[in-house]
Amino acid sequence: MIVAENLTRVYDMGKVTVQALRGVSFTISRGEFVGIMGASGSGKSTLLHLLGLLDRPTAGKISLGGMDTGTLNDRQRTRFRLKRLGYVFQDYALVPELTVEENVFLTSMVRGTAKEQYMNETLEILKRIGLSDRMKHKHNELSGGQQQRVAIARAIVNKPEILFADEPCANLDSESSKNVLDLFKQINREMKQTIVMVSHEEWHQEYFDRIIILRDGEILSDGPPA
Amino acid sequence: MFQDLKVSFFLAVRGITRGGRGSLYLTVLIIAMVFTNMIFMPSIILGFIKVAEDQIITYQTGNVLISPHEDESYIEDADGLLEKVNRIPGVLRASAHYGTGVTLRNKGNTVSASIVAIRPNDEKLVTDVYRKMKDGDYLADGETNEIILGIQTSGHKDEAEDMGATLGYMKAGDPVTVEYTNGVSKVYHIKGIVETGSYYADQGAYITWDELESVYGRKMNQATDVIIKTQPDAYEPDVKTQIYRFGVREKVQTWQDLLTEAMGRAVQNFTMLNSITIIVSLIIAIVVLFIVIMIKTMNSRRQIGVLKALGVEKGIIINNYVFQVIILTVIGVIVGITLVESMVAILTVYPFQFPDGEVTPVVAVADLVNNSIMLFIVACIAGYIPAWRVASEDILTAMRS
Repeated sequence: MIVAENLTRVYDMGKVTVQALRGVSFTISRGEFVGIMGASGSGKSTLLHLLGLLDRPTAGKISLGGMDTGTLNDRQRTRFRLKRLGYVFQDYALVPELTVEENVFLTSMVRGTAKEQYMNETLEILKRIGLSDRMKHKHNELSGGQQQRVAIARAIVNKPEILFADEPCANLDSESSKNVLDLFKQINREMKQTIVMVSHEEWHQEYFDRIIILRDGEILSDGPPA
Repeated sequence: MFQDLKVSFFLAVRGITRGGRGSLYLTVLIIAMVFTNMIFMPSIILGFIKVAEDQIITYQTGNVLISPHEDESYIEDADGLLEKVNRIPGVLRASAHYGTGVTLRNKGNTVSASIVAIRPNDEKLVTDVYRKMKDGDYLADGETNEIILGIQTSGHKDEAEDMGATLGYMKAGDPVTVEYTNGVSKVYHIKGIVETGSYYADQGAYITWDELESVYGRKMNQATDVIIKTQPDAYEPDVKTQIYRFGVREKVQTWQDLLTEAMGRAVQNFTMLNSITIIVSLIIAIVVLFIVIMIKTMNSRRQIGVLKALGVEKGIIINNYVFQVIILTVIGVIVGITLVESMVAILTVYPFQFPDGEVTPVVAVADLVNNSIMLFIVACIAGYIPAWRVASEDILTAMRS
């Protein structure tokens, strides 16, 4: 469960200050697939970064799974991200020197999972996303859509409480985007995975259970897709 | 902690094996050259000192030298001293020398030299000069009217090889005139020419003790020095202590004492030169590795930001780069050792020619270990600083780079 209370984020740009978020509050329940939408500069990525503990709010409070994240120091936030959160980035962000399977099991390795266990989990997740035949391939031997599916596998292999995705289809063609979104939906349904995804594509709305639309750092609307 | 290091090592190995080949080979080559530079100079210096040691022991003073007490010009009762010293445990044999300045003449050539009277049978047990006869034969006990000349006194066939004034290429069988300080002038038959490679031995002239007594017209029981060969397993400083314990009041020095006395300043200068070489090499290593890792980390800023976002701790990321540097240094040191050993092998066949002999590099294991450790320390520093700088960046700043 995610609880955001009166979140504010102000960027100090020297002589100018930019208020990216202005007192945003909401609650996301376990198993929801929530889309954060809005025009460019509306504050959706800033909100995702705050929820994903990649940034700290100027004011306000974020609770993830009952934990007040404001009380965590940097090291604790890092451990929290590793053990309880998953991320999918716009440009896949795979480690170029690693193969598909190595990218997927890297965070399991960092968590200290036994090798046999993480190899099995990696194989299982790659089978699920249809890339088990590409385990030994490097990222540059895959298409954009395949790379993003590997990034999703990396994000969910440790069964995180919340999966954050920052415009995961921005660099994909429509067919690949549809495949990726279908995969997200499948994960959400089958694994009861809580997913918070930032998107600006109108047609993505059909995949979300709920849409939070931001405008100028404030919530314009919050509810199921029209 | 161990798990974190395991992940760092995993990332480092992948980073090296699947990263750019060009920069990998270049970095390894630079580390190898730096290491070679750190080892090669000391190996030559060590080789030079080794030659000096060998020559002092083999052709000059033996393992231990007894010389007159500071207030005296000669060792009195040389026979008594020899008898005493030869009984000391650890002494293989002692040989008395009586050295005096002479003038040697051959036709128009005149050379001032030191002539040394020896007892050939004793001398053969102490020095190896008798093994180095270039022409003719070595002296024998009881012989008179015979002389042996060092090659730097007799002269080479090719004058260019002479290092000073000579008698002009004399050979065994030729006559040579020797003028002593007591006014005696005598023509000797040259029995042999000696060439050891030691300038000290090669610029001298040698006669027997019996010949010395005939020149002075009396029994000679004085010596200018006594040289001692110790048993192979004897430790020279212990032998020196034993000699003093046996009541010898003359000055006793081991070859180590003599080397320090003769080459102390030179060794100091060599050591300073060596230290400068090592410092410069280490600075080159630290700068090169710093630049390599700085470029790597700057090119990987976004990736580092992503890893941190995924929950990979800063320490793991930093240690990844430190491990990369350590691996590169290990490979560089191995290549460096191969280069050094190859050069040593070549220089053993074609040694450097110095006035005191042929110098081949001597690689001390301690130098290999010490320089490797120093290289690893600077490599770790050079890898850590740029990695720490980039890994300490804010996640979003790194990810947006």
